[in-house]
Amino acid sequence: MTDLRHAAETAPSMPTAPARGAPRSHHARSQRLIAGTLYGYFALTLVAPLVVIVLWAFYDPAVGWFPPRILPASLSTSAWREVMADRNILPSAILSLVVASVVTTLTATLAFPTAWAMARFSFRARRAVEVFVLAPMIVPGIVVAVSLGEIFFVTGLAGTVAGVVLVQVVGTLPLMIRILAATLEGIPEELVLAARTLGAPYRTAVIRIALPLAWPGFAAGGLLSFIGSFEEFEKSFMVGAPAVQPLAVRLWSYLGGDILVLPTAAVVTLILLVPMIVVFILTERITREDVMAAGLGKL
Amino acid sequence: MFSETRPPFWLLALLLFPGVGYLLATFGLPLVRVVWGSFRSAGSLRSGTVSTFTLDNWARVLGDPVFLDGLMFSLWLGIAPTVASLIVALPLAALLQANETGQRAARTLYRLPLVVPGIIAGFMILVIFDRGGMASRLATPLGLSLPRLVRDDWGLGAIMASMWKTIPFMTLIISGAMAAISTDILAAARTLGASRATVLWRIQIPLAQPGITAAVLLSFIGSLGSFVIPSLLGPAYPLPLSVHMFEEGFQRGNWNLVYAMGTMLSVMSIAVLFAYYALIGSFTRRATRGRGD
Repeated sequence: MTDLRHAAETAPSMPTAPARGAPRSHHARSQRLIAGTLYGYFALTLVAPLVVIVLWAFYDPAVGWFPPRILPASLSTSAWREVMADRNILPSAILSLVVASVVTTLTATLAFPTAWAMARFSFRARRAVEVFVLAPMIVPGIVVAVSLGEIFFVTGLAGTVAGVVLVQVVGTLPLMIRILAATLEGIPEELVLAARTLGAPYRTAVIRIALPLAWPGFAAGGLLSFIGSFEEFEKSFMVGAPAVQPLAVRLWSYLGGDILVLPTAAVVTLILLVPMIVVFILTERITREDVMAAGLGKL
Repeated sequence: MFSETRPPFWLLALLLFPGVGYLLATFGLPLVRVVWGSFRSAGSLRSGTVSTFTLDNWARVLGDPVFLDGLMFSLWLGIAPTVASLIVALPLAALLQANETGQRAARTLYRLPLVVPGIIAGFMILVIFDRGGMASRLATPLGLSLPRLVRDDWGLGAIMASMWKTIPFMTLIISGAMAAISTDILAAARTLGASRATVLWRIQIPLAQPGITAAVLLSFIGSLGSFVIPSLLGPAYPLPLSVHMFEEGFQRGNWNLVYAMGTMLSVMSIAVLFAYYALIGSFTRRATRGRGD
């Protein structure tokens, strides 16, 4: 299907075999330009900052690394040793992963029935429910964060892991409902009806047919929820701090305080990036861009 | 497609309860409390003062130049990164569609900033663009001197950090919308002599328009309320409303003032949403339903 475009552009050369030597066709030349621009952009926005942060992470306090120097004169692992000796980092990392997993599971569980109702039934308040589910994506998170922070303070949920989980789900649930509803709408009605005519009760038809078919929606929505929870700062900070400090909040104490500890912050940054990138690359294969965009693509 | 049959009420209520009920309790209730609280004076059990109706909070938010400047700065921090990101994200999405070299790698790489917390984006900007940072170290041998880019009056550092997060987010939504455009249409335009830029401007952008507006709206709201990036990279004055909210609330306990500011931010977001609906309403139905694959 996509080959039509190649056929139109590259009559002589095969599209899958870009010429290694001098580009012979317009197609190969423009492909090089495109790839060059893209990877140049990645080098500038991803690789360059990462290199600078890695250099800071191996800062040598004995020698220093002062302005005119582009590269440090010597490297050391002192910041790493300092972070490893800090007894708060590892618990924070584990806490982040646990909270993100619980948030993702809770979000998916709460979202599925509602998404099913929105995707499958016509009811009078359907439009109102849609708008209401959209609303938390429209109102800035900080507004909900301060208000819930105060309510949780009164109810004793402030400074607890449960409170942090509950406040984060407010941010992840709307997106999950929208993505799942978009996925469920795409499942042919006939499949569920077929199961019903073959004698499956309604509940079984939903659980055995629709639930597995909604897998791409769960994968995409789950990934976004997990990431959303892991990188969330404002809500966790205002509900959980100072007692509960996930990794993103912990980083604040190295960056937002009065003294800026660059090498330590660089090490924590690298520690925080690793699990995220692993999760991301693992799930990248199972998440489809169109499904991810479906929940966001139209409001 | 959803079935036209109307389900029994109990089933509908049961299905909607987990999601909608949760949001009512954790979003609807706090939001009502914010709006309500913005019209109340502070009451305290200890000193025996009773909370009463008042417009003082609003008078302060709308009358004090510190908060008015904060409001304008919040708007600036919402609009500037959104516009700048859109200018990058549109060609980036089109390039990703057209690219054939290492497709999977490119698609993974561009999304990486999505998983990086905003605070780390801020940290990256800090080590690169702060005075004595990598950018100025690289510029000095070339005889260049960079303007102040972190904690500067225009919030350029904060804008760059927001952009670093916003560009991939926009690109994700926009390439989703662009991927839904039939490749036949693009090929037809190309064979008829349109350049890539013309195809992007005349075909891809108009057809991906619902996705683009959604991306713009969500990015604007995200940047409007962001707290960590401006407090790390923004100037000491003006402070955006989000930072004022944090300081007035958690450091000074002026919760009713915080609620007035929160209501203000929410009203602005909702106003933008309605403007968006009014703008889009006319051409919602034309577009990207027909899938190429």
